[in-house]
Amino acid sequence: MNKPMHISWDMAPARLSARRLSPETRAMISRLRTALIYVVLGLGALVMVAPFLWMFTTSFRPVAEAFTLPPRWLPGLDSSLESYRRLLASDVPIGRFFWNSTVLATTVTLGYVATTTIAGYAFARLRFPFKNALFALLLVSLMVPIQTTLVPLFLLMRWLGLVDSQWSIIVPGLTGAFAPGMSGVFGIFLMRQFFLTLPKELFEAARVDNAGHFRTFWSIAVPLAGPQIAALSVIIFTMTWNDYFMPLIFLNSVDQMVLPVGIMSIRDPVGNSSATSEVIAAVSLSILPVLLVFLVAQRWIIDSFMRAGVKG
Amino acid sequence: MTKIANDAAGWFSPQNRKETNAGLLFIAPALIGFAVFVAGPMVATVVLSLMKYDLFSSPSFVGLANFEAMLDDRRLWKVLGNTAFFAVFAVAGNVGLGVVLAVLLNRNMSKTVRYAYRAAFFFPSLVGLIFVAVIWQFLFQRDIGVINYYLGIVGIEPVRWLSSARNALWSVIILDIWKNVGFAMLIATAGLQSISKDYYDAARVDGSSSLRTFWQITVPLLSPTILFLLTMNTIGAFKVFESIVVLTNGGPGDSSRSLVMYIYEQGFKSFNMGYASAISLLLLTITVIVTAIQFALSKRWAFYE
Repeated sequence: MNKPMHISWDMAPARLSARRLSPETRAMISRLRTALIYVVLGLGALVMVAPFLWMFTTSFRPVAEAFTLPPRWLPGLDSSLESYRRLLASDVPIGRFFWNSTVLATTVTLGYVATTTIAGYAFARLRFPFKNALFALLLVSLMVPIQTTLVPLFLLMRWLGLVDSQWSIIVPGLTGAFAPGMSGVFGIFLMRQFFLTLPKELFEAARVDNAGHFRTFWSIAVPLAGPQIAALSVIIFTMTWNDYFMPLIFLNSVDQMVLPVGIMSIRDPVGNSSATSEVIAAVSLSILPVLLVFLVAQRWIIDSFMRAGVKG
Repeated sequence: MTKIANDAAGWFSPQNRKETNAGLLFIAPALIGFAVFVAGPMVATVVLSLMKYDLFSSPSFVGLANFEAMLDDRRLWKVLGNTAFFAVFAVAGNVGLGVVLAVLLNRNMSKTVRYAYRAAFFFPSLVGLIFVAVIWQFLFQRDIGVINYYLGIVGIEPVRWLSSARNALWSVIILDIWKNVGFAMLIATAGLQSISKDYYDAARVDGSSSLRTFWQITVPLLSPTILFLLTMNTIGAFKVFESIVVLTNGGPGDSSRSLVMYIYEQGFKSFNMGYASAISLLLLTITVIVTAIQFALSKRWAFYE
C-alpha cells in the first residue's frame, strides 16, 4: 500500500532528522546549522556597524580624498584631523551647538524625571479621589504625539513668548507633559510600575512614624528607585539629544540651535567635498558621546531599555 | 502614636485628607502640563481646523472648508499613500526581523558573542535619526556611494537610490529598518524570556522542527509582545519625517513626501495654519484608530498565559 506522503515544508526536516538519520549525522547537521546562524548574524551585525565605521574613518581622511572609492573602513596611516580643523575654523558655531544640546538635554531630563517620578509615586502609593480616572486621562497623551498638535503648540509658545528660546522645549519637559519624542505618561507609567513592586511594609513603618508624604517619598522611595531613575534619565537624555523635530519648530536662530538642527543647516548638497567633510566631522562629534556612554555601560543600557520597553 | 484605620474613614478624615492633598500635589505638575501642552492643543487643533489663519491676519471661521479642500487635494492623497506604504513595509520589516533576530540570539551560544551581537544590532536605535540619515545619504549616493560601489563589484549597475521616484521610498524604508530593528529585537527578547522553558522541552520531546516550534509555540506565546511592537511601530511610522527630510527631502516630486512633512510645509512654509490643523486631525485619527485596534485585539487575539 502506498500511502500518499504528507510532507509540508516545515515538517520535512523534522521527519528526516527524527527517522532516517543516525545520531552522528544529526549532531553534525545541528552544528552546521548553528555555524550558519552565527555567520548570518555576524553579517547582519557588520551591516549595523559599517555605517559608523565608515563615518569615523572618513572623518579622519584627508579632505581631498575623503570620498574616493574604494571606501576605507579603518583609519590608515594618512589619517589627519583636517576635517575637524576646518569645522572648528569655519564660521559654524559647532561649540555653541554642542553646548546648547548639552544644556537642553540635561535640563529636560532633570525636570522630566523629577516630575514623572513623583507623579508615578503618587499613582502607585497614595490614595486620592479620581486616581484611576486621572491616570487614564494621562494615558490619552500616548495617542497624541506632538506632530498632531504642532500648529496650536507653536501658537501657544509664540503667545508665551518662548519661540526661539530653549524654554519652549524645557517647559513641557519640566511639567512632565512630554520630552522630545517621548510622552510624559511614559515616565509616569514606568515609575508607577516600579513603586508598585515595593513591599507595603516599607511605607507602613513611615506611616507609623507619622512622616510626611514628601519625606516618605524622598527618603524611602527615591533611594530604592535609583537604578530605575537612572534608566529613565538615560532614555530621556538620549531622546532629547537626538531630537530634530521640536528644535526645528521652536529654535530658529543660529545662537539657539542644537546639534541636529545645526548639522542640517550646514549640510551642503553632496558634491562640494570640503564642506561635506565638515558635516561628517560634525556628525562624528555628535555621535561620539552616545557611543562612549554605550561602550562603557552597554549591558546596563540594554537591560534598562528592555525593562522600560516591556512595561512602557 | 495611634495608627489610624484607613478603611472606614472617607477622603476627608484628617489623615486621609493629608494623603489626598499630597497625592494631588504630587501629580499637579504633570496634570497641568498635560492640560496646557497636550489636551489644550488637541482641542485647539479641532478649533483651528475650522479656521483660515495665516499668522499675520486674524483667523476667520470657514466651517468645513478645510476638510472639503482635503478631499480634493491630490498631493494630500499622494503623501498619505506614501506614508501608508512606508508604514506597511517598515513595520513588517522591523517587527518581523526583530522577532527573528531575538529568537536566533536566544539560542544556546557563547555569552560574549550574544552580547556583542545584541549591542551591534541595538546601537543604531540610540543614535539620532538625523545623524544616521546624513551618513546613509552618503552611502546611498549614485556615483560616490559605498553601496553602489560594492554592488558594482558583483556586477550590478549603479542604482539611483535617492533620485528615482521608484526607489526613494524604499531607501527610506531600508534606513528605518536598519535603525529600528534592534529596538524591536530587544523588546521581543524581553518577551521571549518570559515564556516558560517547558513549552520548548515538550516540543523537543515531540521531535518538532525549529520552524514548527517557532510558528506553533514562539509566535502564539509572543503575541502580546508582537501586538505591542506592531502598535508602537505603526504609530511611529506614521510620524516619519526626519529620515525623508535628509535623504530625499520628499522627492523626486512628491514621490517620498510623508504626511508630517506635508503638515509642516502647509503650516510653517505656506502658513495655512487652519489647513495644516485639519490634516493633523487626520494623523490624530490614525493614531487613535491604531491604538483602539490594539486595545481591542489585546483583549481577544493575544494569547496570555
